[in-house]
Amino acid sequence: MEKKKGIKSLLTWEMLLVVLLIVLWAVFSLKDQSNIAAGQYKKAAFGLKQLIPGLQPYMLYGFMTLGMMMVLAMGDIDISVGATGALSASVLFVLYGKFTAGGMDAKLALALSIIAGLVTGTLCGTLNGVLITKFKELFAMIITLSTMLFFRGMCYLLLGGNTLVYKGDDVFNSIKVLSNNVKIAGIKFPVILFWFLGFAIVFYIILHHTTGGRKLFAVGTNAVTSRYSGIKVDRIKIIVFAVTGLMSAVTAIFYVASASSGSIRADAMEGYEMYAIAAAVLGGFSTDGGKGNVIGVIISMIIFGLLKKGLGTVFSLVDSTVNLSVGVVLILSVLLPNIVNDISKARKLKAQHDAIEKEHAQA
Amino acid sequence: MENKKKSSLFSVMSQYRELPLVLIFVLLIIVVSVIVPGFVKNSYINILKGASIDLVMACGMLCVLLIGSIDISVAGLLAFTGSLTGMLMRDGYISSIPMMFVVAILVGAVFGAVSGVLMGWGRVLPIIATLGMNYIARALIPMEWLLGLNKINPTDLTPEFRGFILKNFIGLPILVWIAVCVTLLTWLFLRYTRTGRNIYAVGSNGVAAQVRGVHINRIKLIAHTICGATAGLAGVMWTGFYNAIEKGSATGEEMFVIAACVLGGVAVTGGYGKVSGVVIGALMIATINSAIPQVFISNTMISELIKGILILLAILLNAMLQRMAAKQDLLGRNI
Repeated sequence: MEKKKGIKSLLTWEMLLVVLLIVLWAVFSLKDQSNIAAGQYKKAAFGLKQLIPGLQPYMLYGFMTLGMMMVLAMGDIDISVGATGALSASVLFVLYGKFTAGGMDAKLALALSIIAGLVTGTLCGTLNGVLITKFKELFAMIITLSTMLFFRGMCYLLLGGNTLVYKGDDVFNSIKVLSNNVKIAGIKFPVILFWFLGFAIVFYIILHHTTGGRKLFAVGTNAVTSRYSGIKVDRIKIIVFAVTGLMSAVTAIFYVASASSGSIRADAMEGYEMYAIAAAVLGGFSTDGGKGNVIGVIISMIIFGLLKKGLGTVFSLVDSTVNLSVGVVLILSVLLPNIVNDISKARKLKAQHDAIEKEHAQA
Repeated sequence: MENKKKSSLFSVMSQYRELPLVLIFVLLIIVVSVIVPGFVKNSYINILKGASIDLVMACGMLCVLLIGSIDISVAGLLAFTGSLTGMLMRDGYISSIPMMFVVAILVGAVFGAVSGVLMGWGRVLPIIATLGMNYIARALIPMEWLLGLNKINPTDLTPEFRGFILKNFIGLPILVWIAVCVTLLTWLFLRYTRTGRNIYAVGSNGVAAQVRGVHINRIKLIAHTICGATAGLAGVMWTGFYNAIEKGSATGEEMFVIAACVLGGVAVTGGYGKVSGVVIGALMIATINSAIPQVFISNTMISELIKGILILLAILLNAMLQRMAAKQDLLGRNI
């Protein structure tokens, strides 16, 4: 992106997101204060103290969103991320059971099965990437649609219709460390938040400060031109899809850690792909490809968390309202900039028109 | 084409893109019939029933895909319209069956029109607009001020309606006849009306169509309204078929609808696609669905896997056959 000067440099998508964040914060805080004044409850229900632990479930989608955002930047889409995550989690669970039944040391078994889960995710992603580069006429959407059905089917094959649980298995439940909270300055920070920020920083550096990342945006802007300027488009695509699979597997591990009783079902993580797409799009990545910023995605994750917490606690609205607001925010976040753009364009045209008319009048 | 000397199988295939699919379909039926004798005779009604709801939505989806757009809100619209009409019937606002269909189709069309406007005049990308609409439609179902609904049970529906959809009419259930009517109407619309031809024009070359005087935004609006209307119709069909509907009904059904279209050779970039292909695609998915339990000892867990593999393979095989056909076609021209 070229550097813009002056006040225009502030008018980026990320700044708009920050403004949205502040506005939402102000609305929720005011409503909270008025609730207290009305005597509905005594202590403030909305603040950093409540918000930060509430971010935990959103960070889960966060890992997937990091993968999804790369795919979107490339102009593709990956619908199979939820199924990939579920398959990784299933492999992790089933292998742990097999290993420990075989008399292996539980800790070693856990480590091995986590690695196996990560490998599974990466393999799923690689399969997507290979199929997409080999069958270009079918598009990522269709390929990942059918691999989604395929991966989901594998989950059913592995788990059957049962819920797999390791209750009272201390070693396996040690994975729950990942869903703990750390207390800093009186505020409970979920561990997962730090993991997410760590991954996000890595992705930020890769996407915005390495040649590989810039190539990725180039492919998204114009794949044909990129190919003729010497970028190995197919290889980049396969790598990106593999990394997306890996990120889905990472999500799966945190999902296992945060699932209430350490259980898994074959229909786990259904619909996560839609959350990931929504978060990436709100973060400024377009499904057209070629643009976006990791910082935007981080802010959009926080906005989603804020919306849920605020609507839930302050306005005491039910879960479906949150979904409704997600839908509305998603559409408005694309619609409003378009309208603003249209208006400014029309004004510019009108100014030009007026100038020309003036010249004519003078002549 | 000028030189039709070599009318080999491949050159025929390149002209009729649905042909490879027919071959795959016939192959599938033969394989299943060998394993399960009398498969077609015994379960053709089930296949048709299973294909109907998807086919109705796939007809709408075809119109949308033809203009190079996509609609992933159809399953959400299905759940919303089904719940809405079911609730209206429960509370006694509607008692006649035709009224159910009219209300559902209108409500679906309104939702479709909203996404069409968002895409046309608001220039929101199709996948984002419909993803948002999907969230909104599903979230509206349990909302207190609107429907406030958890589930529509069979007892909430009038007895006439419960039996209506599966009632036999000239040998086939009414459910199937609805699908047949919608398919025929879509075929006539896309083939013989000006708007239908304009849909193809916008999809194959939007700029050229605009220069020729086609209102692109209007065509987008029409296509998405049709898609929403079919989803609304499918909502009532779903309620009638299962005699129950809730906010989680038909989750992921949009994927099967899109898969049916893609299997039927519809180009996702727009401009190419035929109703006949979509019919075969929908029938194929229904056949796979109904064959799996009979071939693989009714293990639903394995059936999910096989379904995924078969759909993936069918799509890939179809693509490869078309590619081969295109290659042979080029060779045949002796350039």
